Amino acid sequence: MIAQTIDRTPRGAGPVGASGATARPSTPRLRLLPFAFAAPALLLYLGFLVWPALQALWISLTDWDGLSDQQSFIGLGNYAAMLEDPVVGIAAWNNVLWALVTIALPMTLGLLLAVVLNRKSRTSPVLRTIFYAPAVLPLVSIASIWAWLYDPSDGAINTILGAVGLSGLEQAWLGQDSTALWSVMIPAVWVRTGFPMLLYLAALQSIPDELYEAASMDGATRWQQFWRITVPSLKDTHYIVLALSLIESFKVFDLVYAMTYGGPGYSTQVMGTWMYANVFQYFEAGYGTAIAVVITLVAIAAGIPYVRSQVKSS
Amino acid sequence: MTSPTLDAGADGAPPARGRSADAPSRSAAGRTDGRPGSRLRTRRRLEGGAVTVGSVLAALVWISPLILLVVSALRPLSDFLSNGPVSWPQELTLANFPEAWEAGQFGTAYLNSTILLLVKVPLGVLVASLLAYALAKLEFPFRNVILFTVVLGMTIPIYIAIVPLFTMLRGIGMTDSIAGIIPPYIAFGLPLQVLILQAFFRRVPEELLEAARIDGAGDVRIFARVVLPLSVPALVTVAILDGVATWNELFLALSLLSSEENRTIPLGLLNFQGQFATNYTGLAAGILIAVVPILVLYMLLQKYIVGGLTAGATKG
Repeated sequence: MIAQTIDRTPRGAGPVGASGATARPSTPRLRLLPFAFAAPALLLYLGFLVWPALQALWISLTDWDGLSDQQSFIGLGNYAAMLEDPVVGIAAWNNVLWALVTIALPMTLGLLLAVVLNRKSRTSPVLRTIFYAPAVLPLVSIASIWAWLYDPSDGAINTILGAVGLSGLEQAWLGQDSTALWSVMIPAVWVRTGFPMLLYLAALQSIPDELYEAASMDGATRWQQFWRITVPSLKDTHYIVLALSLIESFKVFDLVYAMTYGGPGYSTQVMGTWMYANVFQYFEAGYGTAIAVVITLVAIAAGIPYVRSQVKSS
Repeated sequence: MTSPTLDAGADGAPPARGRSADAPSRSAAGRTDGRPGSRLRTRRRLEGGAVTVGSVLAALVWISPLILLVVSALRPLSDFLSNGPVSWPQELTLANFPEAWEAGQFGTAYLNSTILLLVKVPLGVLVASLLAYALAKLEFPFRNVILFTVVLGMTIPIYIAIVPLFTMLRGIGMTDSIAGIIPPYIAFGLPLQVLILQAFFRRVPEELLEAARIDGAGDVRIFARVVLPLSVPALVTVAILDGVATWNELFLALSLLSSEENRTIPLGLLNFQGQFATNYTGLAAGILIAVVPILVLYMLLQKYIVGGLTAGATKG
């Protein structure tokens, strides 16, 4: 309907080219149309993401419990309390470890798999499907599967260790401080390796064969070719994988929540689960929100260069 | 995406050009060398065989958790306990499945997740593509600022919004309802969708739009009849990625949906996991119930998933 009114504007026969929109005589209706396209998404985005996030800034400055009508302004009290809270220290450190491990290992494994599966063979597509498969499953199911494998008495992992004569290594993987966090990271690596593998596989297609041919004529070994040709040629992909994995790592919640609930003790708490516990278990909505604000600010700061590069290039 | 770059690479590599005079097919260059080449070839072939065997073994290890899960779900608990989790079943049964289905109330969970998926994904992709079109092809003030602000949403963890969202939805009586959870889901899905779609829409040639305009089509019709049909691959990809994310989402569902009849699949499984902690074979069956349909869909749609992830993450 709107479309027809606009198009009655007479136009010259000559092609106007890409800047056609500016050449059109502007009627008020015409200038409103782009807003009509943009409005539904922008309203949803502002109403259910931006506005709640801004409200969270305010809530983080109060002592609100999340339920009652009582809410008093306590300034930066919650932020000061975070500095005193030993669990925040544990959670922040766990977030750092989580980021390091669940970025570095999937990137390395993904790159190796991509190089291996890049050769033309009948098995490659099937193997690619297998290595990516964990990434499509709900993280809750990943958590269930691995908790089942880690079961101290009847889990497959302890059983296999026992069967190969390593019964000394059998342990309650998720039940002790020393191993719990690492045991939650392993399924995360299992889930996250497929994504870099796929990106690297796509990027490998664009490295010209001639580079490798020339290098092998000059006597370069496979190992040298990998480090001197493959790795540098994938620079853009390294950056994208790194940026997206970093953004993702701040959101860690599901696996920890479903596998250990932050325990034993507080040993596997991350900022997301500790925030959740404060809001929904201890009814400290103000304090929990302050935790969320801190991690969000860090995540935004870390993500800005990537977002800028994506927006600029398009 | 890959083929143009491949061509560009072949044309742009100067050392190859000198050789191409005597070797018409460059990939066959190795063969023209004569005797040393054949030895090289057998070595390469052996190497290739070893790599294939190695990678197949690695893949078996990689999916062994799922294989174990299937085997365990198909045996009685007594058989599992007496023979151990890593053993060949002496007895097979399907009884674990109905038992798990009942206990986990997976019927309700499937229904809820399906409704959520069928409403949220089309609606989300529609509003995302409208905005993406405005940003890619229409004159728009602060276009770059808006694009930047929307895409920045990718970095924002959903938990910053949970307390205000909870309060907002409680105010209108929409906590603990599938309908209430849809608007925030759409909002948090928008950044990635808008990023992918606007990059794709930008590549629709301006001449096509101009030709349609000359034929008397307005922006609405151009969007519906020219841009959308040309963008089906991108739309399918975005819809699949969004579908996977929606189906698997835990945090918001956990915080907002409290009653049994509103559980989604992740919530249902979480609850089930607690109940069935020591019934190992029943637990395996329950996990499979939650997982197998997604795996089947993944096999069927993997072409789009793979293509979409690559396109989405690499600037389109």
